[in-house]
Amino acid sequence: MKLKATIEHKPNIPTASMADIAFLLIIFFMLTITFEVDKTQVQLPKTTLRYEIPKQSAYVSIDPNGRIRVSDGNEQSALVSAADEVLSMAAGVIAMDPQKVFVVKSDGDVQWEKVDEVIDALKRAKVRDVYLLSDQRTVTDG
Amino acid sequence: MRLDRDRPDDEIPTSSMADIAFLLIVFFMITTTFTATRGLDFALPEDDDDPPVVEKEESVLIEILPTGELIVDQDPMRLHEIIPYLKPKLERNPKKPVIIRPDTATPYRYMVEVYDELRQGEDHGLAEPINISVPTQREIQSFWY
Repeated sequence: MKLKATIEHKPNIPTASMADIAFLLIIFFMLTITFEVDKTQVQLPKTTLRYEIPKQSAYVSIDPNGRIRVSDGNEQSALVSAADEVLSMAAGVIAMDPQKVFVVKSDGDVQWEKVDEVIDALKRAKVRDVYLLSDQRTVTDG
Repeated sequence: MRLDRDRPDDEIPTSSMADIAFLLIVFFMITTTFTATRGLDFALPEDDDDPPVVEKEESVLIEILPTGELIVDQDPMRLHEIIPYLKPKLERNPKKPVIIRPDTATPYRYMVEVYDELRQGEDHGLAEPINISVPTQREIQSFWY
């Protein structure tokens, strides 16, 4: 009896669509990416109301030890020694773009005096739009 | 006669394309940070050298002590009691300024809590947004009593 020769299938994983999926993910990440200009670790205060902050906003951050860092929204944030330096930096940014939005990113436990100095400096620099960065308050927060 | 030619495959080699694509994905995944990019807007009034004089009795003063306790028009009050207290006053005069004045040693989060609560006035039945004012220490020293 003559046995029929078995046809050997070459094992093959279809990978043609893998690149499509990968590029789709790349496009998603490219569109959503925002390079963080300030990496100060803070415990933000919690609020019920939270609005989207425009991209490329300038940052003023105050860490739990009261150290102030500033960023114009493009460069990485840099340490400043006093609130007066916030004023000169903010004035420079506002001179370039009067509509620039500033974000105050302060630790919740920082004394008001420190935040007050920063807000006053922004006010004197004629900044109009300021956002207070916050975390979402939930019902469990009380 | 049958010629057995070694014909090369007419295929574009795409197997490495996925490798490159995933390499890019890994890069974007590492550099992307889903950070908190939301917050409360805090429109600053123009730094006016000659601001309108607000009489003490025309406004509502909310003082915040370093312990987080609230003193509203000289009376201690809890956070959720502020809006019901303000409601009759604001119905008579919706433009009545509400001044938040934290102590210099008060933690920042207490001020944000009060500001957040006042911003939600319309959700608690008020007809208009509350005219909130947070004067800085310099302004208090320059223009206040």
